[in-house]
Amino acid sequence: MMHDADGVHDEALRQVARRLGAAAADRLDVERTAQAVVARLRAGDAPARSPIRWMQPGWLRVAAGVVLIIGAGLLVYRRLHLPPETGVVPQVAVAPPGEFLDFTSGQLQDVLNGLDSTVEMTPTVHAGEAGVEDLSEPQLQSLLKAMED
Amino acid sequence: MPPAEPALAPAGDAQLIAAWQTGDERAAAELVRRHARAVARFLSGAGAPEADLDDLVQETFIRAFRAVATFRSQCQFRTWLLTIGGNALKDLGRRLARRRVVPLDERLESKDGDPHERTVAGETEERLRRGLTRLPRMQREVFLLRAQQGLEYGEIAAALDTTPGAARVHYHHAVKRLKEWLQ
Repeated sequence: MMHDADGVHDEALRQVARRLGAAAADRLDVERTAQAVVARLRAGDAPARSPIRWMQPGWLRVAAGVVLIIGAGLLVYRRLHLPPETGVVPQVAVAPPGEFLDFTSGQLQDVLNGLDSTVEMTPTVHAGEAGVEDLSEPQLQSLLKAMED
Repeated sequence: MPPAEPALAPAGDAQLIAAWQTGDERAAAELVRRHARAVARFLSGAGAPEADLDDLVQETFIRAFRAVATFRSQCQFRTWLLTIGGNALKDLGRRLARRRVVPLDERLESKDGDPHERTVAGETEERLRRGLTRLPRMQREVFLLRAQQGLEYGEIAAALDTTPGAARVHYHHAVKRLKEWLQ
């Protein structure tokens, strides 16, 4: 009995508490739960490793270091083993970026003029744009002469 | 019929825990078999909806096995599991509260199960269940560990990181309030 003249006994309350959840617990399929827990534990290990591990700062540093070493190696190889490019573009002495700060305005002007002349001396002619009408008179004459030969 | 896994020799929880720490999945499964019903009873008494009970029991064991290195035998393994279950239930309550479908206490009250069974189980049991959901968490867990699981105050205190005296006070407050609601 739960009630008497003094109300609810502690012991009676405990008896009800002991029954609490018993039916739900009996309905639990313990074996299925055990297998599900083991399966989840097993599956939980795999994803924790693969993608996240590569995102660790240590691995990123290693990857960046490898890229830098390969890049530097390629540059050194090209400098040592490939012939320097020969072109008609005149070389313009360009100081390292920091040194521009020490230039006077006249020196800066000279550098800019040098860059302008570089651009002017390397006209770009696209395919299909050049025609006979673009040739000067001496060039036309030499062309005709060559055709006669 | 599939061949059964080789059975484990009868072992204590400590041995099974040690075996699991070396990767023995059979030991983990055996620990689940031993304690799953007690965890389910505790969670159900604490207000877990029956529809979520299986998931909560699984979640309790998953958390326990992943954190088993922190288990220092300060209390029994089962008692430790029950406190982990309490945390899992609290997290479920937070998730349900964020959805704001219905108030948390109502969601945590189990309304599942066969109505006939619930009638048989008795109105008092149902009222006790409802009363427990209205208690502060510490009082609810101390009451369940003491009254439902039959633990001593020292064991309860160790599991809930409090003192036996404080656990006793929580229990008596819980009983007093539950009596008021049940009368």
